[in-house]
Parts: sequence; structure tokens; C-alpha cells
Amino acid sequence: MNGRNDENLKELFEKFYNSEQTYKAVEDVQKAEQIFREYPAPEPDKELIAGIKTAIAAGLLSRQRGIFRTIAYRAAIIAASVLILAAISINLLDKRGRSEKLVYASIIPRAIWESDNIAIDDADLAVLTGEIEQIEDEVLALQLGESDSNGDSAATELEMELIDADSYFWKG
Amino acid sequence: MTENDDLARIITGCKNGDNECFSQVVDMYASRCYGYFYRLTSNKSVSDELLSILFVKLVEKIGSYKGGSFESWLFRIASNIFHDYLRIKQRQRKLLDERKKQLELETTVFKRSDSEKIDNLQVQLSKLDADTRELIMLRFYSQMSFKELAKTRSEPIGTTLSKLHRGLKKLRELME
Repeated sequence: MNGRNDENLKELFEKFYNSEQTYKAVEDVQKAEQIFREYPAPEPDKELIAGIKTAIAAGLLSRQRGIFRTIAYRAAIIAASVLILAAISINLLDKRGRSEKLVYASIIPRAIWESDNIAIDDADLAVLTGEIEQIEDEVLALQLGESDSNGDSAATELEMELIDADSYFWKG
Repeated sequence: MTENDDLARIITGCKNGDNECFSQVVDMYASRCYGYFYRLTSNKSVSDELLSILFVKLVEKIGSYKGGSFESWLFRIASNIFHDYLRIKQRQRKLLDERKKQLELETTVFKRSDSEKIDNLQVQLSKLDADTRELIMLRFYSQMSFKELAKTRSEPIGTTLSKLHRGLKKLRELME
């Protein structure tokens, strides 16, 4: 777009006025503009201009710092996100790996679980529980040194009782 | 290198945050913008303040300049700053219960320091209505063409032309 100096006032006014009006209008505009040149407005003080330039420099500096800070914050957020994702991924992979290694096995033989005679099984379990409790008491007495017998024979007795309990249990 | 190429280079520098380029823009336009503000407000300290605001805004908004006449763009910001200032003044006046005063009278009420000597042009300008006065200021200080003025004011060029002609004719008569 051309500025004021490039425009043809006469041509412009002729679009709206007749030739006489155009002549007058152009003269009015030119003379009024001449008045402005004769009465120049005051100039801004040098101190004001210097102050504005200083303010601009300060503004630019703080803006550059702001941009740098924003970039740094974003980079930190991205880095933190990557670390968190990596940690989660490793954790998930580790869990998955571990679950594949797990072997499920029952410590009680299937025959026991599948027994139809619940009354006999309950009685057996009661006997077994009693023997285990007795053995526990004896072990405790041995640990505390309360047993009357010497340590070797007591341990042998316990071992025998355990073997008995074990064979009795598995025989049913 | 032409003047336009030079200005384009300076503006590119401004967009890249070059302080030296901003200084050049200040040197190029401070005088005209100051004249624009002074003729509208009749007050030096207000003009100082508005000029400072203008250049601070320039730094903030230079990224939004997408080419075309830089003067038009700059003076549009200047005009907005002036109108914001008027609005603040108006609000203050309302608070002071001076609602009856019209906007047109406001510029004559601007307080001047005793040391300020007001020229005849300033006195006569204050007799014009606010819109015409601003149009004349834009025409003279921004050096925009009628086409650019009409575009800036979002009105048909014929309207701008006749409004400005009437205003300048009246000003001429007042000055004689």
C-alpha cells in the first residue's frame, strides 16, 4: 500500500467532487498540512527516548530469559516423563518375566483333596493336628532347655514321632 | 538499498529480538508518535507516558505484524493506546461525578503545567470534534494515505475523505 506521498489527491477527490470542488478540496488539504509544518509539535526529550530504549532492552532481556526458562522447564518435564515411563515399563516387564517363572504346585496331594470320606479325613486331621502341637511343645521345651532328657535322645524321639506322624498321615 | 528494504530489514531484526533494531525504530518514529499524542492530549507528561507505552507494546506485539504498511500498524496501536487512555480518564471522571462533561470537551480540560506554552494550532484543534481531530492527527503524523486511513478506520474512503476535508477546512478557517 502506498503512503501519503505517493497518492494523487486530485485524482482521489475527482471520484467524489466536481472539478471546482476538487480544486478547492486539494487546496484546503495542502494549506492545512502547511499549517502543521509551520506549527511543529514539541519533540520528545532525549531523556525520555533514552529511557524508552533502556526499557526495551530490559524487556528483551527478560523475555529472552523467560524463553530460556520455558525451554528449560519443558526439557525437565520431558526428561522426568521419560524417566517415569521407563521406570513403569521396567517394572511391568520385570513383573511379567517373574510371573512366567512361577510354578504353581499343591503341597497337599490331590488324593486328600479328592477324598469322598470327609468324616475319616476330619478325624485324621484332628489326630495329626494334635501330634503336631505335641511336637511343637517338645521343640519349644528343648529350645528353652526345659526337657528332662538329654538333647540327643530327645531329638531322636522327636524324629521318630515325626516319621510316625508322616507315615500315618500319608497312609490315611 | 531502498528505504522500504531498510525498514523491512529493521523490522525483521525487531522480530528476532534485536535491541539495536528496536532502537532504530524508536529513532525513526518517536518524533511523529509523540506529536500525535501531544496534539491529541495537549499534555507533555501524558504524551511521555503514552509514547513509552507505545514502544513497550511494540516490543510485545512485533510478532503479530504480518507485513503491509508499518506506519499504519504502528499508528493503529498508538490510536488504541490513546483510546484506552481516554477510557481510563473517562472512568476517573465518572468516579469524580463529572458525568455531564462530553468526551469532546475532554482534551481542553487536560491539565497543563504552567511552563508549557500551547501554540495557536493546539488551541484551534481543541475546537474540532474528537473524531475529526484524531483523523487529522493520523493523516498528518502517521503519513498514511486516504486509502490506508479508511482501512484503519473501517469506513469507506469517501467518508474519510469528506470528513478530513471538512475538518481541515474548518481548521484552516480557525487559524486565519
